[in-house]
Amino acid sequence: MNEFTTPKRPHGPGVTVAVLVGSLVLGGLAGAGSAFLGDQPGPAGVALTAAMISAAMAAGLAAAVWWWRGIDEAAREAHKWAWWWGGTGGMAVGAVLLLTLMMRAQDVPVPSGFGSRAADIFVSGMMSILLFQLAGYTLAWAGWWLKHR
Amino acid sequence: MNNRLKVLRAERDWSQADLADALGVSRQTVNALETGRYDPSLPLAFRIAKVFGQPIESIFTED
Repeated sequence: MNEFTTPKRPHGPGVTVAVLVGSLVLGGLAGAGSAFLGDQPGPAGVALTAAMISAAMAAGLAAAVWWWRGIDEAAREAHKWAWWWGGTGGMAVGAVLLLTLMMRAQDVPVPSGFGSRAADIFVSGMMSILLFQLAGYTLAWAGWWLKHR
Repeated sequence: MNNRLKVLRAERDWSQADLADALGVSRQTVNALETGRYDPSLPLAFRIAKVFGQPIESIFTED
């Protein structure tokens, strides 16, 4: 038993809300920063955008470590279960969409929201995989707690 | 796995929140333990035994 695996007092609902709001604010700041600072011609704009997103991701990872240290073993188990089953399930569903779109015959149209070029359709498919993973994760996490309550 | 957590807690007139504080876990986790829907790790089982002052085998039994 060590301090890393044993929180003295697990995070409560208030901390959960604070982390969610903080993440939204951080993401908004990074997005606004990259929009303003990255809107420059040439490599400088790309570098600034990469720097802003890197800073946001680093802050997000630091918050994730802090969060993980503050939840108990059942909460960790719920997240691990949700990561594997929800994330994998969501990826499988999203992959069906992505591969179907990418392997279709050229004369078959795709919904306008997915774009018209192959690169746009691929990016849309990847984004849909992320969204399905997020949805699967959320459902699996809720399901774990419903099953164990 | 079966356990006597609820009985032991009731004998001491503790709430689930009291036990959660003593163990360093959330009240939801204590509830999951008491209903037998979540089996604790070995470190947590040792903490439970320490809190109640009883050996692990007198608190947890196989199905």
